[in-house]
Amino acid sequence: MGIDNSHDTVGCSPYNRESWDKVTGNTQYIDDLRFKGMLHAALLLSPHAHARIKSIDVSDALALDGVHAVIHCFTTPNILYNSAIRFYSDIDPSEMPCTERVFDQEVKFVGDRVAAVAAESEETARTAVKLIHVEYELLPSVYSLDEAVADAAVQATPFGISKTNLCGGWVAYGNQDEASVLQTIKQSPLQSVSTFRTSRVHHGYLEPVAHVAHYTPSKKLTLWTSSQSVFSFRDVLAQLVGLPQNAVRIIKTVSGGAFGGKLEVMHEPVVALLSMQTMRPVKIRLNRKEVFSSTRTRHEAIITLSSGYASNGRLIAQHVYSLLNTGAYAGSGPNTVGAQSGKTFVQYDAEAMYYRGACFYTNTPIAGAMRGYGCPQLMVAREVHMDGIARKLGIDPVQFRLQNLLLPDAKNCMGKPTHQALGRVCLEEGAKQFCWEERRKQAIAKSSGTTRYGIGVGTAVHGSGWYSVYQDMTSVTMMMNNDGSLQILTGIHDLGTGAKTVLAQIAAQTLHIPLDTIEVIEVDTAVSPLDLGAQASRSTYVGGNCVLECAQQIKEQLLEEASLMVGIDEQQFALGDGDVIEMVSGKRISFASIIDSAQKGLHGKQRQIAAVHSYASHTSVYSYSAVFAEVAIDVESGAIKVMEILCVHNSGTIINPAQCEGQVHGGVQMGLGYALSEEMEIDLETGRIKNPSFKGYHMFRSHQMPKISVTFIQGAEPSGPYGAKGIGECATDGVAGAVVNAVAHALGGVSIDHIPVHATYVKELLTQNYRVQ
Amino acid sequence: MLLGVVLSLYHFFLYIQDDFDYTVCCKGMYMEYRETVSFVLNGIERKLETKRAWTLLYVLREVYQLTGTKYGCGTGDCGACRVLIDNVAVNACSVPIHKVDGKTVLTIEGVAGDPQLSIIQQAFVEAHAIQCGFCTPGMVISAAGLLLHISEPTEKEIREALKDNLCRCTGYVHIIEAVKLASNKMKEVEDGH
Ligand code: FES
Ligand code: FES
Repeated sequence: MGIDNSHDTVGCSPYNRESWDKVTGNTQYIDDLRFKGMLHAALLLSPHAHARIKSIDVSDALALDGVHAVIHCFTTPNILYNSAIRFYSDIDPSEMPCTERVFDQEVKFVGDRVAAVAAESEETARTAVKLIHVEYELLPSVYSLDEAVADAAVQATPFGISKTNLCGGWVAYGNQDEASVLQTIKQSPLQSVSTFRTSRVHHGYLEPVAHVAHYTPSKKLTLWTSSQSVFSFRDVLAQLVGLPQNAVRIIKTVSGGAFGGKLEVMHEPVVALLSMQTMRPVKIRLNRKEVFSSTRTRHEAIITLSSGYASNGRLIAQHVYSLLNTGAYAGSGPNTVGAQSGKTFVQYDAEAMYYRGACFYTNTPIAGAMRGYGCPQLMVAREVHMDGIARKLGIDPVQFRLQNLLLPDAKNCMGKPTHQALGRVCLEEGAKQFCWEERRKQAIAKSSGTTRYGIGVGTAVHGSGWYSVYQDMTSVTMMMNNDGSLQILTGIHDLGTGAKTVLAQIAAQTLHIPLDTIEVIEVDTAVSPLDLGAQASRSTYVGGNCVLECAQQIKEQLLEEASLMVGIDEQQFALGDGDVIEMVSGKRISFASIIDSAQKGLHGKQRQIAAVHSYASHTSVYSYSAVFAEVAIDVESGAIKVMEILCVHNSGTIINPAQCEGQVHGGVQMGLGYALSEEMEIDLETGRIKNPSFKGYHMFRSHQMPKISVTFIQGAEPSGPYGAKGIGECATDGVAGAVVNAVAHALGGVSIDHIPVHATYVKELLTQNYRVQ
Repeated sequence: MLLGVVLSLYHFFLYIQDDFDYTVCCKGMYMEYRETVSFVLNGIERKLETKRAWTLLYVLREVYQLTGTKYGCGTGDCGACRVLIDNVAVNACSVPIHKVDGKTVLTIEGVAGDPQLSIIQQAFVEAHAIQCGFCTPGMVISAAGLLLHISEPTEKEIREALKDNLCRCTGYVHIIEAVKLASNKMKEVEDGH
């Protein structure tokens, strides 16, 4: 019928639309923005883990040439807030306790804000910071999670519930009450209990945290920040500086990496207040040490799993008991527990399941959102636990999992539909591609001399959007330009993963127009429609659905006008290559002429071809993965080398395979570090971070990376845009489990109880193993 | 025990090293001095009066507004600030400006103007090697440093050449493919295809 499908872009891999500016050094990240009269800010960070500020003398700092302002707890608003809110009304004390102030008289960790200086240069500001004299009254402190949860523990902050360190409250639920689930475990033919510890890690984004604020005499505040959620930042900022939300404009700058680390308000209020005081643009850019100490981290966790099962390997009941370290402030702590709890029920099937978890305050850096949001902790603990059971039963780990993973189009123990739960397919396909059985055997056979080989597997699951744990929605505005090209205004935040490219692909596919006639304009509270931020792997699923439906509305408007123009029923038209085509005659009417007709009101109501659309997600769908790993261990040094990783993912239809694969690769790098090398080491005497630099904090480098293969199991998810589900977090969730299980396999089936698995730990495990033998 | 002492000394060193910073190379060296530094920057001869032991990174970004070279750590550990000095890739945050006197400096902005080296940029785009892009300028420079010396590197050589450049987004996979692609493309150009 002459319909042109040359603009089918879903499933193709057009280049990331920002590539050329980035690769030529033209992209302006926040640190590259230059403003006339811009001042530079620096922070005085607490050297103490817990102290009350008795007095602050800023006279020497202010006397320094080039210093314009110094602010601290005695000069700034005393308003409590939570830096992690999503909706304006997120103030439920059990979910979003307000525990933070811009400057607090009580500092609660080494790296907490004490004061800030604005000066003519960064160097002057940093020099002035050293001239601020603070008198502290030291308070008792608690650093480790074990100590924080113990009875009669030192209180890290005044916000712990009933004089403990409990933050928010317990999240506790299951398909039966807790006592019954525990009872079922007890009555099962076999039981296993294991406790696993995961470390505090950092996002390690390459772009340091930076913000610029500019307050002008017209009483308007503009703030540029590499944020993941500008609308909630606006809500927090407006409240803190006492302006209505229309007078506060937050502009997201191109993200130099975020991974959840830029989802929560950080030092934005500081530059805002400094700018209001000086009436000059004020910028802050943290140095790397400050990024480690004074931003956000992943929650350290201690997770105990108890399972009851039959000797044939069928899981009967499971209980998860999870303790998270939220650091000095609540932030997203209770939410992370909530998100983690949900994953308990959507991976494996059992008669009875129960989750109990909570987070606790300590006098350590603030934990917050990080890729996976509570899930990587649970996945690694659980996958190691499951391997332990398989080992005990003498069942192959893949077979054991196949017996217990959820089935698609079924119901989980909570009675919720499992939709396209293709975790089992991922596992089967991966086992085939990895030659699992053979290599499992070979690994032992080829271990010789000082080298031991091991093969391991780990599965994972992750949602696409907040629903059903929380409400989820986003909005999109589309406007046709006069030449038939399209502007899309979206609140979806592209963090470098190519969200804008994917949204453009979805719009191009729906409207049959070339990709390069679509402009996606990113987030600015003054321009963009509302969005809840780049989190929960929601950009493609929630944002994509919104773009798809909005584009359909544009399509309807175009067809309606075309129908008025030629007097033919709308049903008789199709779209193709930027034209509306009469299906019978093949006659084409260009978008441009339809738009012109609409704007002049030549045939119907005079109007612009444009649409605003809100999409609320009411389906909770999950993405699945199975990760396979091979490691080689040198038993003399304890050094572990990861030889190969295979990731098999089910994320529905893959809109842009190359970009999606790239995200999985990045997720592997992060997961490998989580399993083997990354850890923010806290000195248990002082509360200081011992390794606040890329020299001391070991992220995997190019020469340490294994060979990585990625396969997608592409079952279209009916509720997803062109069948797509999320990928961002699932990309990292399952990696650590696979690697740790491979290490355990190489070492003859030892029980590993924490990550990262450093060389020293390997040597300990070796002695354990030899003792067993 | 001894190991513990050494480790804590090491950690103490790590802790104080923020005194290496963006503006000047050695914060401890507070002396003011005047020096004229002459060098060729992206093909243009420059003469700069420096008052302090400025870092090359500071000079590039704040004096010449060449912001394509990034500040990622300021401690020589991430490679986001890489530039070519006399065709060798180095971290600009760790080079005091007087060290480039008489030398040739090429930044990412200069790569775009070089017909041979800009092939690397094309390859990075085509290989989907760019996500957030913050590491990208440094990666391209490291790739250039490698390919200027070894035109057909092995994968191992590529991985080694990129090991001082951190990337948190890509797992390096597409970046390594981009360097291979660039090497092939450069060879094709040379062979006159
Ligand atoms: S900024 Fe120079 S190596 Fe990181
Ligand atoms: S692309 Fe983001 S750090 Fe490399």
